[in-house]
Amino acid sequence: MADLIVNGQAIPLDEDGFLEDTELWNEEVAKALALTEDVPELTEEHWKVINYLRDYFAKFGVAPMVRKLCKDTGCDLKTIYELFPSGPAKGACKIAGLLKPTGCV
Amino acid sequence: MSEVRIPYEAKEKDLKVMHVGAVPAEERPKAALELLGEMLKYKRSLKLYLDVCTHCGACAEQCHSYLGTKDPYNMPVARVELVRRVYKKFFAPGRSFLRAWEGAKDIDQETIDLWYKYFYQCNQCRRCAIFCPKGIDTAEVTIAMRELLAHLGLVTKFHAGIVKNMKTTGNNMGTPLPAILDGIEFLEEELKEETGLDIKIPVDMEGAEVLFNPSSSDLFTNTDGFMSVAKIFHKAGVSWTLSSRIAETANFGLFFHEPTMREHNMKLMNAGKDLGVKRIVAGECGHGWRTWRMFTDTINGPLPFPVVHLFEEVLDYMRDGRIQFDKTRNPELITYHDPCNYGRGGDLMDQPREILRACVQNFVETTPTKEYSYCCGGGSGILMDEAMEIRMALGQPKAESVRATGAEILCAPCAICKAQLPVVMNHHKVDVKVKGLSDLMGRALIL
Ligand code: SF4
Ligand code: SF4
Repeated sequence: MADLIVNGQAIPLDEDGFLEDTELWNEEVAKALALTEDVPELTEEHWKVINYLRDYFAKFGVAPMVRKLCKDTGCDLKTIYELFPSGPAKGACKIAGLLKPTGCV
Repeated sequence: MSEVRIPYEAKEKDLKVMHVGAVPAEERPKAALELLGEMLKYKRSLKLYLDVCTHCGACAEQCHSYLGTKDPYNMPVARVELVRRVYKKFFAPGRSFLRAWEGAKDIDQETIDLWYKYFYQCNQCRRCAIFCPKGIDTAEVTIAMRELLAHLGLVTKFHAGIVKNMKTTGNNMGTPLPAILDGIEFLEEELKEETGLDIKIPVDMEGAEVLFNPSSSDLFTNTDGFMSVAKIFHKAGVSWTLSSRIAETANFGLFFHEPTMREHNMKLMNAGKDLGVKRIVAGECGHGWRTWRMFTDTINGPLPFPVVHLFEEVLDYMRDGRIQFDKTRNPELITYHDPCNYGRGGDLMDQPREILRACVQNFVETTPTKEYSYCCGGGSGILMDEAMEIRMALGQPKAESVRATGAEILCAPCAICKAQLPVVMNHHKVDVKVKGLSDLMGRALIL
């Protein structure tokens, strides 16, 4: 996929539009990724989910189970889909700069 | 390759895990021919299927892949014809391999491109086989041809990624053990909060009676079903455990790479042996179940203990009176989706229905149903995002048969079906919730 251009810097994306290198994430990158996911603006609620995902990822190297994400952020699944239209495993993980969850999901 | 293939191809570095290398494009036609020749020597069924088709056309309209995409190459007969025409030219009785190779025009890069495309639009659902008067099972041809493609280095990015995850973590999602343990601890707290009981989810408990092998998605998206299983074991008073080495019933090797399937089987058998369990209980996963029931004995040799399906295990508890259900807790109109690998591949059609009769109030069958049921369209691992348009077309016949029931809940007890069907139903505007059978059992279980 074409690179993501953030402040003039090219950030490589994989074929699914996820960061090739999760280390290159920062808040500006998140905002640019959000635009690829039909999320025009990142609100406080978005950031709550994003920050939770990033903390979990830093600790465990993967995304948390969806139920845990909902419980710990206080956002039910419906809210998560409202915030991130393609869902927790796709939109939310992409914007938070995680690896793409794969398998039967 | 200028054009990007759908599904995406795995890169060469991602193939190493399967011990296959990428054959350079210009050498592929010749290599493919040699591989096909080798395969025909030991895959008697493949040779038979290529020989006996009468082109009667009885299969054509029975394939949901053709019905959904309207692409003539997706008629089972046409799909197999992509190989048959090569077979007829080079291998059919009376032909000489070397003589034919000199004037070979029938196998070129385009043939291989068509193989990749159309053998990844077959869900290996085996519905065509039910209707073929000659008993030709196109799913078997698809499995063989994907295996051949894998030896050429042509594997989807999605399938290769899953094999890699399985090897490094023991599950398809690639969830490392600390994350699994963290998730399990959380689910125990959830169970406590919901039931007030101390319902344990043991890991690596030596001497447990049962090793339960879930799908890894049960620990990510389908946690309701997984919690239900914990409740059922708790209520039945059965000692059970998970294994830290493997938490995956879904065996993607079945779809395209036999050595991978064998290795996965070994991993689970060894985990069971080391824990000293009496049996392995397989969770909700269609093809994983088919692998266990139909292939493990023949491919890995005799099993040291039985492998049973969760539904068989639950039926035993029901018959012994160890668990009871209150069906008024599932009052909605519920229909059932037969995962292809249960209904047409794993001898599991009546058992889930017997459980449903005990735990739901209003049940309605789809038309067609049981062995005639349509595939969800995700079978054989066609779950990658880049194939979304094709996936929605493949799921269309199923969507219509569910719509006609007017059901509020679609019970689909397979991890692939559970990933595919909500998207399909949403896309085709069928207003129905998709749940596993475990979820419904858990709701109705009297604790
Ligand atoms: S039904 Fe069987 S014999 Fe007839 S065309 Fe299809 S595969 Fe061939
Ligand atoms: S196995 Fe299923 S998807 Fe494949 S050709 Fe037969 S009916 Fe079609």
